[in-house]
Formats: sequence, C-alpha cells, structure tokens
Amino acid sequence: MKITIVVPVYNEEEKVVDVLKELSKTRFQVVVVDDGSTDNSLNKIKNLKLKNFIVLQHKINLGKGAALKTGCEYAFTHSADAVIMMDSDGQHKVVDLPRFVEKLESNKYDVVFGSRNLNLGVPLDRYMGNKLASVLVGFMFGIYVSDLICGFRGLTKNAYKKIKWESTGYGVETEMVIRTKKNGLSHCEVPVETVYYDNYKGVSIIDALGVLVNLFRWRLTLK
Amino acid sequence: MIIGLQITGFIFALLMIYLSIVHYKKGSLNGIEITIWLVIWTLVIFAVIFPEILRTYSQAFAVSRLLDLLIAGGFILVISMVATLYLKTKKIEKKLEDLIRKDALKKK
Repeated sequence: MKITIVVPVYNEEEKVVDVLKELSKTRFQVVVVDDGSTDNSLNKIKNLKLKNFIVLQHKINLGKGAALKTGCEYAFTHSADAVIMMDSDGQHKVVDLPRFVEKLESNKYDVVFGSRNLNLGVPLDRYMGNKLASVLVGFMFGIYVSDLICGFRGLTKNAYKKIKWESTGYGVETEMVIRTKKNGLSHCEVPVETVYYDNYKGVSIIDALGVLVNLFRWRLTLK
Repeated sequence: MIIGLQITGFIFALLMIYLSIVHYKKGSLNGIEITIWLVIWTLVIFAVIFPEILRTYSQAFAVSRLLDLLIAGGFILVISMVATLYLKTKKIEKKLEDLIRKDALKKK
C-alpha cells in the first residue's frame, strides 16, 4: 500500500522545518501544502530541498480543510492508496505514524482517527470543549470519536472519495467524522502523543461556535 | 414623530442614490442595475413624502398601522437580500477555492 503524508502549513516558520526534517527520515512521500502563509514558511520549506517531498502552494489562505483537500487530491491522483494527515506545528509525532500505517495496511479500516490522551497536558477549557463536542456528535450522528478535533488521521482512497469534505476551515475534522458515519465507513482510533506548544493558535471560540452551527446544518443536509 | 421619521427616510434614500451613482461611476453597477436602484430609491422617497399612498396597501394586507406595513415589508426585503447574498457568497467562495486548488496542482 502506497501511503502519502499530507501536511498543511500556515504561518509555521518556527516549527515546520523540524517537522519536515523528521518526516524526511521516513519512507513515505510527503505532500506539503502551504496555505497562503504570510511569513517565511514557504521559503524555508523550499530551501530544505528534501527528497520525496512535494510542495504545493495556495496563493491565498483558504483554511485547513481546503489545504488538506488539495494535498489529498494531489496524493490520490499520483497513485497513493492512503494518506495520513499531520499538523505542521510539531504537535504530532512521527513516532506515531506506524500505528496509522498498521491499521491502514490491515485493510480493515477506511479511516483511522488519532486520539490524544486528553488527560495529559491539555488545558481544561479545551478538554471540556472537546469532550462536549464528542458527546454532542455521538448523540446527533451516532458516532463517538474520543478526540474529535485531532488532526492526526489516516484515510484510504476509497474513504476519501466518499467523505470529500466541504469545510475549508477547522470544521473539517468534525465533518470528516460525520461523513465517515454517514457513508458507513469502517473506522478506528489509535492513541497519539501530543504536545501543546502554545495557546494562541488552533481552534478559537469563534471557530468552535461556527462548527457548532454547522453540526445542525450537517444534521439536516447530509445524507 | 412622523415628520422626524420622514426626514430620516428622505435623507437615507438620498444617500443611497448618491452611493448608487458613485458605484455606477466606479463601474461596480451597470446601466440596468443603476436604473433599477434609482427607481427603487425614488419610490422610497415618494413613499416617505406621501405615506398615504401606502395606506391602500396596508388595508389590503389587513395591517392596521402604516408603520407596521413598512416594518414588515422591510424585514421581508432584508431577509430575502441576506439569503441571496449568502448563497452568492457561498458560490463565489467555492469557485475561488477550486481556482486556487487548480492553480496549486497545475504548478506541479
């Protein structure tokens, strides 16, 4: 099975180089999608000149969901059988990749969700918000994923065709979970390590409210 | 009170006529669009100066007060405009996303 790693990047000049260097030690092809960064991220990535790396660029910032979709489109039109998505801020660890690979290569699962140990090092408000969202999605859609917004995920080509998401922003993780259920795809969770480097980035309260509104929209519109 | 509202409505309509002309000169509105907007705001001015014209309609809709008719009409107009704008924005967003993605993938 050919697996490609998709890494969306937006203004991560401080961390992205280390993340990509770590990834270059693996056997996988890596598709990096710069989502219209306004800092020096893109130059730093291009200067790395790593083998087996593809760098795509959005001329303007569209959002994480859109960047992931571009990466997946590239991967699946260039003979990938599955992709694993990783954040570029260093929160996800390369050492966890074999867990995803093992599940995907077993051919038992279409989608593999990374699941952080939310009891360790996660700020309380984020922990509560995440758990509440998981329960709400479980109640509304009948699928429970313990870490709903973890961006560390794997999916097969077949799964991508079915769950092609519309969310361009941070709603993408939740939409992916809901579409997994709606399409009857097999899924599992694998534990992953995570490190919280900062509090100012990632999902804001406004993003969370937007996702909440979308939950009701998806409940009504997704078949 | 009515006079105060009428003056406000009149000034607002004049301002909107001015803005419509500015946008026409900038090329944001074409000939047909500027004509439609000028007709709409001229009708608003007439309705503001001669509110009695609308009284016939308020009776037809079984609305006792003229102001209620204006408020209800305003709400319907605003809601339909917001809905239309929402759909158009979504469509443009989708087109933009597709274009940026196509560009990103083409360059590889």
